[in-house]
This record gives sequence, structure tokens and C-alpha cells, in this order.
Amino acid sequence: MAKNKLIHPDANGVIEHDHNNDGIDRRGFLKCMAWAGTGALCVVEGGVLKSYALGSQMGSKMHSHKVGGMTFAQISDSHMGFNKPANPDVISTLKAAVDKLNALPNQPEFILHTGDISHLSKPEEFDNVDQILKATNKEIFFVPGEHDVLNDDGAMFRERYAKNSKGAGWYSFDKNGVHFIGLVNVMNLKAGGLGSLGHDQLEWLEDDVKHLKSSTPIVVFAHIPLWTVYPQWGWGTDDSAQALSYLKKFGSVTVLNGHIHQTLQKVEGNVTFHTAFSTAFPQPAPGKAEGPGPMKVPAEQLRSVLGITDVNYVQGRHALAVVDSSLA
Amino acid sequence: MRKRMFVGLSIAVGLAIATVLILHPTRARSEDAKASAMQVTVDNFTFAPQTLTVPVNGTVTWVNKDDVPHVIASDDGVFKSKALDTDDKYSYTFSKAGTYAYYCSVHPKMVGKIVVQ
Repeated sequence: MAKNKLIHPDANGVIEHDHNNDGIDRRGFLKCMAWAGTGALCVVEGGVLKSYALGSQMGSKMHSHKVGGMTFAQISDSHMGFNKPANPDVISTLKAAVDKLNALPNQPEFILHTGDISHLSKPEEFDNVDQILKATNKEIFFVPGEHDVLNDDGAMFRERYAKNSKGAGWYSFDKNGVHFIGLVNVMNLKAGGLGSLGHDQLEWLEDDVKHLKSSTPIVVFAHIPLWTVYPQWGWGTDDSAQALSYLKKFGSVTVLNGHIHQTLQKVEGNVTFHTAFSTAFPQPAPGKAEGPGPMKVPAEQLRSVLGITDVNYVQGRHALAVVDSSLA
Repeated sequence: MRKRMFVGLSIAVGLAIATVLILHPTRARSEDAKASAMQVTVDNFTFAPQTLTVPVNGTVTWVNKDDVPHVIASDDGVFKSKALDTDDKYSYTFSKAGTYAYYCSVHPKMVGKIVVQ
């Protein structure tokens, strides 16, 4: 069984890779991901990953190459209402993330927000985020984080962000031939457990993808990681394996998550898992602190550990190109 | 002889003072002791103490000292707090003896126990 390694973009030393027999050069892919913080663009060409610095001529050629493809962005964990030392001004950093999105040379067509929009599920917190995100002029698709459903089992969240959703707020939609699935794994959490999708949602998911062609690229987005990053801190989802089993037939599955406030990537067969920066505050790497809470860094370093994610899909290619860039 | 007397006198005085303190504790001191004995501090994603034993009809108070909100929820639905932000408190009075396992319903890896006897 192929071993799968956790990759942290800030890791020192050699980045290890694993081999899966699908024609994708993972060494190139992972070296590419190490550039992510500087804003590199990774594109799959004939199964081989090439990286182009965003400023280069080839980079801009790639940017304009939109035939049969598309670009979208992911932001996460804005925690509007948080005001402790790790970041006393989450409004400024969210605005900086919006500026970064608006400055992307290849403009995303829409944005995914992978949850913890608010810090305390307060109406004014949601209002503030809505106000700030208006400046992107883009359609935004949301899934809730545990901070968004504190008092009312998510009723306010669904009313604002997921009117046409099922159950706790799950839904799917299609863009440019790519099938997007928004999942909710922050409800009905059991003592001692991890994130949870639940029976109803899993049944819906199985049905939702049943009739799709296996060549349809799939993008799943949910708040808590759908792979086991670090169970001691609750960084995983108890029943994600079942969800992924329904996606086995697809040639390209990209899973986008938040919750852990740092970028991590894992590739397992046809599935690429990716977690995003927060726009509010960083959290420690797995096991590197007593607990998973907000991590204070020197003020001048804060924006270098917050950021956005740009995702590029080129039609006919397997893996989507997922590029993280920090705010500074 | 004098030395022995002196030592004996010191011991007697010491005992007398100790007796006074034991028999007449100040009201405030004993109430403080009682209150802190029934408090759970929530910090760094942990409940401290993780297991707390209180008498029947004791009131346990959870205090959130963490920089993120937590929700105190009993495993069996016996009690559940609102979302507690930093410095918020939640109290519950246990009128029945038993063991009450609870967790943070937002961060379910955080678990604790109240033993009422």
C-alpha cells in the first residue's frame, strides 16, 4: 500500500514524495508546493507539473490560457469578532485578503469560503464579513465552521448562506463541467470524536454523484479536514472514509478544507487534499504546541502566515492546480 | 531545665494558636475554598480538573479562560451551556448523585467528568 506523506510548506529539509502509478510526477508537484508561499503557479501539462513564478512571462501565458478551464479561489476562517493578541484586527487582514484576491492576474470566477466565517455566530459578525467580501464582486459559496453554528444548530448560517441546501447545509453545483460539493462536518459532534458528516448527508452524497461520469472533475469543500491530520486535536472527520468511497470512480477529486489555519497538502491516488490559510490567525503545526488554539507570532510576521488559495482547472488535465499565497 | 520549659511553652503556645485557627476559621476563607473546589477552568482546550468530585446539590461553575469559545455539554443531554466566550461562566447544580461525562460540543476532543457523591 502506497505510503502517503504529510507535506508542510514551511518544513525544512527534503520534501518526500510518494509514488502512485498515475503518470503524475509528484516530486515536481511537491517542489512546486514549496513555492506556494511566494505565489507560484503550478500547472499540470501532460501529467507533469511545471511551476511558473507568477511574475514570469510563461506565468502570464498560463494565466491567459483559459480555454475549457477555469479559476476559482478559496478563503477560510475569517473568525470575524475575534480580537485577542493573535490578531486584534481581523477586519484588516480580511480586507487584505480581498485586496489580494482582486489583484490576482487571472481573476477567479467565484470564491469558496470553507467556514468559521464568524467567531461567535453573531449576526453583526456575519454582516461585517458580507460587507467586506462585497468588494470582491464575486459569487461566494459557503460551508459552515463550528464557530458559525454555536447557538442555533446553524439556522442563521443556512438562512444567510445556504438557502437551497439540504439538512445542515450541504449542497452541490456545477461550473464549467466541474462538480462542486459543499459538505457540513461541524454538526452533532460526539464526545471524544472528530468532525462528522452523518448518515443523512452521506446518503445524499452517494446519490448526488451516482450518475456523474467518472471523467467529471470533483471538488469537495468542507470546514474540518476530510483526512486525519491530527486526531488528538480533532483535526479529522470520523466518517470521511465513507464519503470518499463514493468518489472512488472519479479520475480527479480535489478536497478543500480549512479549520487548521495552515496550509497542508496530501495526495492519495486520485484525491488531492488541501487545507487553507486563515485570514484571521495562524495555529500551530500538529503537536507543536499544547493545544490547537490561536498562535501568536510577532506582529510583523502575521500577514506572512495568513493567506488565500487560488485554484486553476485546465480541461482534460487530472489534478487541479492549487496555489496558496500569503498576505505578505 | 529552663530550656526544656521554654521549648514546652513554645509548643503549648503553638498548639493554642493552631487550635484557635482550626476552631474559628474566618467565614470568607471557607467560602472561597468551597467555591474554588467546585470550579472547572477551561483553558488551552482542556478542562482542569478533568475529573471533579462534588457533593450532591453542589454547583459546579465552568470558567472559560481560553481565547476561543467553548460549549459545555453533557454526554447524555443533562446540561448544556450557551457558547462561552473568554471569561464567560456557566454553572449547573447537581441534585442527583452519579457520574456525568461531558465535553465541549464545538471541540469534542475536550472531555471531562463530574462525579457527584
